[in-house]
Amino acid sequence: MRRTKSHSSFFAALVGAAALTWAVGLPTALAQPKKPAPTPAPAPAGDDEIEMDGDEPAGGVDEGEIDMEGDTAPEPDLNADLAADTSDAVKIDTTTREVKQVSWKDIVVVMRKPFLKLGRTDLMPFLATTMNDNMIRHTGAGAQINYYLTDVLAVGVEGQYFAKNFREPFDLVGRQARRLPTVNKYNFAAALNFHYVPVYGKFAVLDKHLIHWETYFTAGVGITQSEVIPRDPRYDAFTNILITPNIGASMRFFLAKWFTVNLGIRDYIFVDKFEPTDRMMYTSAADAKDHAETAFINNVMFQLGASFWIPPSFEYTTFR
Amino acid sequence: MTNNARLLLGSALAVGLLASPGLASAENKSDLDSQPAVRHRLLLVAKRLEATPLFESTINADFRHFVGGGLKLEYHMNDMLSFGVIGVGSASIDTKLTERVLKTLEDSDPTPPPGASSGSREPSKTEFSQHLNKMPIHGAAYVSVTPWYGKLAAFGKAFVNFDFYFQGGVAFAQLTSSCDASVCDDTNPGAPEMGTTGPVPDDNPNDDPPLNSGFKPGLYLGGGIHVFVNDFMAIDLAVRDYAFTDNPSGADFNADLAVKDDDSRFLHHLFAGVGVSIMLPMKVKRTR
Repeated sequence: MRRTKSHSSFFAALVGAAALTWAVGLPTALAQPKKPAPTPAPAPAGDDEIEMDGDEPAGGVDEGEIDMEGDTAPEPDLNADLAADTSDAVKIDTTTREVKQVSWKDIVVVMRKPFLKLGRTDLMPFLATTMNDNMIRHTGAGAQINYYLTDVLAVGVEGQYFAKNFREPFDLVGRQARRLPTVNKYNFAAALNFHYVPVYGKFAVLDKHLIHWETYFTAGVGITQSEVIPRDPRYDAFTNILITPNIGASMRFFLAKWFTVNLGIRDYIFVDKFEPTDRMMYTSAADAKDHAETAFINNVMFQLGASFWIPPSFEYTTFR
Repeated sequence: MTNNARLLLGSALAVGLLASPGLASAENKSDLDSQPAVRHRLLLVAKRLEATPLFESTINADFRHFVGGGLKLEYHMNDMLSFGVIGVGSASIDTKLTERVLKTLEDSDPTPPPGASSGSREPSKTEFSQHLNKMPIHGAAYVSVTPWYGKLAAFGKAFVNFDFYFQGGVAFAQLTSSCDASVCDDTNPGAPEMGTTGPVPDDNPNDDPPLNSGFKPGLYLGGGIHVFVNDFMAIDLAVRDYAFTDNPSGADFNADLAVKDDDSRFLHHLFAGVGVSIMLPMKVKRTR
């Protein structure tokens, strides 16, 4: 009957264990008075990390520790080897077999983080576009500089410049409803931000390649300059500097030690000042600004950026 | 036999027996490169039927938001390929733009002056609102590809599986508009009308029927993420684009002063959806 490899292994392990039990004399051991178990040394206070390498205890291997290298095997004994029954032993041809040392140390239970950010600076040029305005679309080009105080917390600044284009309803409202929309355009924005990374993970692409990623939240405050688009071009426009808190969530994909790709959504929140409805009463820009109508605005933008990390590499200081 | 002799003999026998299968199997081991990317992976979608009650809402709609609920049924042939259908029933809500426009419009049309077909080129409140259409039912049939799957850890506590998927297929929508015959009373849009002093050119598209109702087939694209809360339940977040021919305002788009079929154009209707996916059967398999 053909026996599978796993069955063979199990059978051999069972016989081996029985042989070892017989060799060390289990009944004799059971007859011995029970020795008190060795008291483990108390762990240093506050040290809850697992030591994976080095620091072998003096006097050999601790109880309960698994020795993967087999260096506690009995000393070779030529007489014992000659006396042993080797009729069932399998002769192995070692002349043609490629010798590759595979150690259990090649396999780690928990992989270390593939990308360290602590003490590194992230330079991120990005592009952005409006998500929630059906009259005017702003396309932003900007950059962020973020410094990571820890691996999950960063502080940084950003700046972006906007270009506008009108969406279809802007024209439709004018042509179909005979109404001139009241809209502002944004010129530039800048902010001081904090970033926090609560979520990280990895995914397999087409069951082949593993890519690590993380999600980070952003909160900050800054300014935005908006500019009214006069309904009647005879009138002058005026600009506003607006205090702008922002919140957002983004994903970062790690492609190299020095390069990541980011995409996210940011909500820039401010109270904007619009051209007054009765603009003909206030012909000057300053006068119109004094009588501007205000509205609470959520300018939600989708952002796509590429991060360049400085220094471009990092070294691990913890165990593998 | 002395204890030492028994110990040596037993040890040699044990080492020999334990080592031989290990050495034999070592011939087949090379390195980790030839191993699969993920072992013992939970096949969270393969050969399972996914039933997803869902909520969906338009993103950045022009004149009316469509908000509703529906059901997605999808069969996963394997862990990467699936096909399914989705159907959603929606209610409509005016956008801020529509509310602002309606505030400024007159309640009714003024009397046309002699030689004109209308008293004003701007629509009345009724004309504007009754030309807008609704989308009570929409849906799609699609093929879905799930090329990415993985795990994430949130706040170092919650470890969950997720996958990204992309979908493509055919879309459909049932559109309705309800313009009263007393409002949309132009039976021959664009043709001269009889004025008080004789025939006058039809320069008023606001009394034309909106022509933006009926069954509309089209194309469907979507993408989303499953976040598995256990082996058979997942949060389903998606963005879906139902693209078909439409004229949401029901008004004259090409400025020929008449509402005709050529005012409709191929438009994207973007929706964001969230649902709870139930995977059947509930028992999940693992890869080797």
